[in-house]
Amino acid sequence: MTLQRVTASPIVSQGGECMSSFYDSQGTMVLACSGHLRFAAATSDAIKSMIQWFSKSPGFHDGDQFFFNDPYVAGSHTYDMMIIKPIFYRDRLIAWTATSTHTADTGGLLRGGAYEVHHEGIRIMGLKLVERGEFREDVFKSLTEQCRDPQYVGLDLKAMVAGNNVCAKRYLGLVEKFGLGFVQAAGEKMIEDSENKARAKLRSLPDGTWMARQYVTTLDRKTRKSVGQQLFCAMTKRGDELCFDLTGTSPQTDTDHNSTLPSTLAHLALALTNTLFWDVPWSDGKMRPVKVTVPEGTILNCRYPAACGAAPRIGSVLVSTVCECVAKMLYAAGRYDDVNCSTTGNLEYVGGPGYFYGGHTREGIRVAQGLYDIHGAGMGASPQRDGVNTGGHMNIPSAGISDIEQTEMQYPFLYVTRGHNCDGSGFGRFRGGLGSYRIYLIYGSQDCSVDYKPYGGIAQGGFGLFGGYSTGISATRLMAQAGLEMIERVKNGDYPDAQSIRKGEWGKLYYPEGVPERIALPEGSLLVDYVAGGGGLGDPLDRDPAAVLRDYGRGWASREIAERIYGVVLDTKGKSVNSAATEEKRKAIRASRLREGKPASGKISSLQGAAGTSWRTARRFHAALEIAADGGGSAIRCSRCGHLFCTAEENYKLHALHRVVDLNDFMPYPLPSGEPYYGEYHEYFCPGCATQLQVDLVCPMLGGEAILWDTRIRQAR
Amino acid sequence: MAAQQQFIVGVDTGGTFTDVVVMSGAGEVWTAKASTTPDDFSRGVMDALTEAANTVGIDRDELLGRTSLFKHGSTVATNALITRSGVKVGFITTKGFEDTTEIMRAIGRVDGLGEEEIRHVTWVTKPEPFVPRERIIGVRERMDYLGNEIVPVNRADVMAAIRRLIDEEKVAAIAVSLLHAWTSPGHEEEIRSLALEADPSRKVYWSFGSALSQVAGEYARANTAIINSYLGPTVERYLKDLEAKLRSGGLKGIFLIMQGNGGGAHRERVSAIANLQSGPAGGMIASAHVAGLLRHKNVITTDMGGTSFDVGLITDGYWRYAQEPIVERFRILQPIIDIESIGAGGGTIARIDPDTKRLLVGPKSAGASPGPVCYDAGGEEVTVTDADLALGIIDPNYFLGGKKILNKKKTLGAIEEKIARPLRLSVTEAAAGIFDIVNAKMSDLIRRQVVRTGYLPEEFVIYVFGGAGPVHAAGFAAELGVKKIFIFSTSPVFSAFGAAAADVIHTRVMSCQVLLPADPLLLNKRLESIEGDLREVMAGEDFKKDQVEFRRFFTMRYRRQTAGVELPLSWDRFTQGRVAEMRDSFEKKYEELYGAGAGYTKAGIEISEVRVDAVGLVAKPRLKAARARKGSIAGARKGRREIFFTRPELRRIHTPVYDYSLLGPGVRINGPAVIELPFTTTLVPPGFKVTVDNYLNTGCGRSAKKDE
Repeated sequence: MTLQRVTASPIVSQGGECMSSFYDSQGTMVLACSGHLRFAAATSDAIKSMIQWFSKSPGFHDGDQFFFNDPYVAGSHTYDMMIIKPIFYRDRLIAWTATSTHTADTGGLLRGGAYEVHHEGIRIMGLKLVERGEFREDVFKSLTEQCRDPQYVGLDLKAMVAGNNVCAKRYLGLVEKFGLGFVQAAGEKMIEDSENKARAKLRSLPDGTWMARQYVTTLDRKTRKSVGQQLFCAMTKRGDELCFDLTGTSPQTDTDHNSTLPSTLAHLALALTNTLFWDVPWSDGKMRPVKVTVPEGTILNCRYPAACGAAPRIGSVLVSTVCECVAKMLYAAGRYDDVNCSTTGNLEYVGGPGYFYGGHTREGIRVAQGLYDIHGAGMGASPQRDGVNTGGHMNIPSAGISDIEQTEMQYPFLYVTRGHNCDGSGFGRFRGGLGSYRIYLIYGSQDCSVDYKPYGGIAQGGFGLFGGYSTGISATRLMAQAGLEMIERVKNGDYPDAQSIRKGEWGKLYYPEGVPERIALPEGSLLVDYVAGGGGLGDPLDRDPAAVLRDYGRGWASREIAERIYGVVLDTKGKSVNSAATEEKRKAIRASRLREGKPASGKISSLQGAAGTSWRTARRFHAALEIAADGGGSAIRCSRCGHLFCTAEENYKLHALHRVVDLNDFMPYPLPSGEPYYGEYHEYFCPGCATQLQVDLVCPMLGGEAILWDTRIRQAR
Repeated sequence: MAAQQQFIVGVDTGGTFTDVVVMSGAGEVWTAKASTTPDDFSRGVMDALTEAANTVGIDRDELLGRTSLFKHGSTVATNALITRSGVKVGFITTKGFEDTTEIMRAIGRVDGLGEEEIRHVTWVTKPEPFVPRERIIGVRERMDYLGNEIVPVNRADVMAAIRRLIDEEKVAAIAVSLLHAWTSPGHEEEIRSLALEADPSRKVYWSFGSALSQVAGEYARANTAIINSYLGPTVERYLKDLEAKLRSGGLKGIFLIMQGNGGGAHRERVSAIANLQSGPAGGMIASAHVAGLLRHKNVITTDMGGTSFDVGLITDGYWRYAQEPIVERFRILQPIIDIESIGAGGGTIARIDPDTKRLLVGPKSAGASPGPVCYDAGGEEVTVTDADLALGIIDPNYFLGGKKILNKKKTLGAIEEKIARPLRLSVTEAAAGIFDIVNAKMSDLIRRQVVRTGYLPEEFVIYVFGGAGPVHAAGFAAELGVKKIFIFSTSPVFSAFGAAAADVIHTRVMSCQVLLPADPLLLNKRLESIEGDLREVMAGEDFKKDQVEFRRFFTMRYRRQTAGVELPLSWDRFTQGRVAEMRDSFEKKYEELYGAGAGYTKAGIEISEVRVDAVGLVAKPRLKAARARKGSIAGARKGRREIFFTRPELRRIHTPVYDYSLLGPGVRINGPAVIELPFTTTLVPPGFKVTVDNYLNTGCGRSAKKDE
């Protein structure tokens, strides 16, 4: 709380990207306070390393505070800055407190251009900013002057120092009152409690293995084109232990598109904190039952000195990948309140102008760096309802975005709109929460620039569940050279929208030669920007037509998607549902599924002559599928029509009707750059009732098995 | 003589009771209560007035006829908001920004929720907006943040929007809030005049964002306009009806409405939304009033009721306002007294975490129904009140003055079964655990509130309200190092008492962006324009220029921070020297708040907000010291009972019990002791002593000399 009020960066003060926590004398986290979860787990490693390196020289003294930002030890990238303070009581080091912020300026190359961590500005492995209570101006000046915007960095550093002071004082107050022994024992008890609670929760869940595969895209430095990478996650739960194996993840890149091992572990921990362990006290204890394997040399465990500025983006997709596995496990345990297909906060089809700005405002003041509307992403659908529109960010439970009135005071922007993105979330019986989009004009400044990425041909992260789609269809960023003349048109009542901008009606669309890391935004540039929506849950044909009508009326769904995906036909005015036509349309879509889908194994069932209907339901692990059992065996059965797919220990997808849809056919328009998409939707249907059971996104060029065995529940014998 | 005496009457309509305080010019005080009548709140008010007149010994018409000032705080607005029983509203905003109130800055998903709820990320959703998207219409117009017109108001759009909302949607109220209207209300004024054309007879209720707040932040300002419209017709009708009833009952004096900012105002000058939180505000005014009387500079006010524990602060004699206060999960922009709340009251439930075997208290509450186990009304969960009973602090036969007989046996059984046995503790140890945990939770909330103002808890005294408060206050005060707590005999009607003591206050808060060193003339110009506006409003309240006192505050921050530090201005106008002085006091305050070295002058310092309160002082009753109520310790002693005290270690003490109503001024009682009031029980632990002052307030503090 202290931190949020005093920091300069909008991402911290309004976006909540910060954290203060307590650690025991060895650096194990005892308690994290709410904020950006990625920081909590990370700082523990920084403290442990500093203990190892600096205990003798320069040693730790009462009143010291250290600056730390090496992502190969702790944190995600060099912008994750920590101030760490040992707490002393009667001349003994008894605990640590640390405060972290995301402060997006470390000097170095501007965002996007680095290919070694050494390009990414200052990287400090512990430096006394405060020594025995004395603020070191030499260190402060040297650190901040390495950065482009010393005031901004300076203010954040000071805010962290202040935050630590408040925390340490509070901790010592407790020690004074209850005695050191009691406080330390209480700390141990908290860590132990977290572990016990985590294990108890794991014991209550079915044993099994869940797999998920999601994608990211980045620039290939040689071809200057977008290239995809996959994140692969196999999660095995047995008893009170949980193992993650990330083998199968793509090799590291020669851009900044890499995640160090500490960043990977921090993101994995936060994914679990938000879903599986949300009700487990936030200490390191909850991660004790969790084992992780990450092969070295992959984008999730890059080798030094790879650059890693984009690690949080990979981390977000990892969170999404882990959440997909966890959501399916929780569903199989009947914990529906904890199931949600929330994604990452980033844009699905990354590319075009980003949101890390540089330059000056109208008043000649430096612009305030990144603009984090991504913290208002759509949340995923749940088993009983749509996802929350512009709901927040998985990584930051209490995230928020700025008022436009505040933004326009800090950036040279004039907004035309900020609203919910039509068709912008995963389709499903319950659709994902909508993300936002904004159209804004660069206005009042001759000096503004932004990071730039190639358009990726496959969606970044995100997942749908049980027949829902991971993402929507309309979210590719655009930039038009509109010129300030466009204001005259607006004055006359003619407003731009994404469609007309895409068609070129508001000036030439701008695609820079050779995909540079940054582009200038001359005054008069008109930008369209998107934030991701959540994933959908269930077969879209099961969606209540009234909900589709409502979304259409609000401008949140198009007529085209209403018909094509939901099979809902509206009257010509769009004021009511044509029920008869809707029924026909849905029938036709189901018929085409039965016609076009083919079982991959060649057979729609591996079981012979089993009279499935007399079997009782043993476990519902999917919105439309269950494990059914009789005295002897168990099988996977459609809970709607009773179709029996296979035994419980087989992959039902091999016996479902399987249809592959090329993204180039699915999407209504090509990528803004004109390049093709490079992914496919793999859809699986029940051979009995044509219910859509699963939609997987697959990138064939990256190899790997197309038909993922995503759920494999071990049957108790 | 009595026949000529004039009265000041304060009425507070709360959720359960409608309270009345009557004060005479001579400083006498009478109080009365009647049940609140949610179907027609004015009935409860009239009932309570009849009761009050009885207590004074006259009839109601005479009471009203002799009332010079009638001040009223009500829960009508709050109630309509909570029960969602306001009117159908349409919303007009800037084209392109129609989704603003649905987007809710994303933070709307967690606004107003506790930390524990927020952690359930997969589950938490946004509240249902007050205006569905179908009734939000964007019109073409646009200003920039400096108030320059980019797109003029499209009058045809506006007229079409009004027509659609009124004729097709059949709304009862319309709210208008445009982008950047905080800096220039021009476009909203234009729409206001179009509204007059389209709706000349004012069939619908209109609210304009720029009239309700001049602070930047379109989301909260839109909420403010919408909620004002949502509540407007209901609140307006109620107040109109009530005034008519009072007037026909003989009231000739001034009728003032209590606002959430802690001040009263004439009915016509109070916006509906300003009625929110007027009850708690009444409590704060009363506290500030008493603090002046008792010469307490810094006060923590606490209210521990059945489900929640509320904390407010008075620093240097004044209460504080919340920044973007959240009402029913919606953030708004209104000067509302800053009161924080957690789920910790008498009905708060204690349970054991099955996995860690930890004893947890709250935030869930058994409420009033079924209530604690001891109510014997079907409650099965152990609550804080059950723990208090098990420890012997509460007398099962004298709860609420004996109005409710408690089932102690049942309580002991429930604690044994649900808490003690699983933890292998004795029933008393289990109850002591609950008692200590809830005290720690309350002291945590207090500490958080205090620390963020830059003060330390030791610099405060605590005022204790609510039925469960005096049982726990010595406990949480000791944890905080607070030396003295006070319990008031008028505590159950404190909000009404506060209403009676309230001044007329109008507040203006304005965003600005002024970098220091600023031109003093520019700052003065800004102050003059705000004060001119306020002076006009106060003239409408019948205050002459020289009767209005202005209190001025500037919020300052290092440039590019978003939250600032509010500083009172000790002079009315700026000079060069005073601008510099203000910068220094900001930096000093900043270091007090966040530690030495935390400030950073080089970032630049800016003024982000100006606030002016116009205060019209209203005659206030002078409280008279208690008439020679004689009372001796011996006479007040009811007997002894076995009570378990938890600190410094759990022990049983044969404790004397006193009847408060038989204690007179100047009495001193050393702990351990229990003092019973009709509405609560005060626990005085060993090492504490109690004194009764001339106003019959009870002060409780440590008796050890070193603490004095």
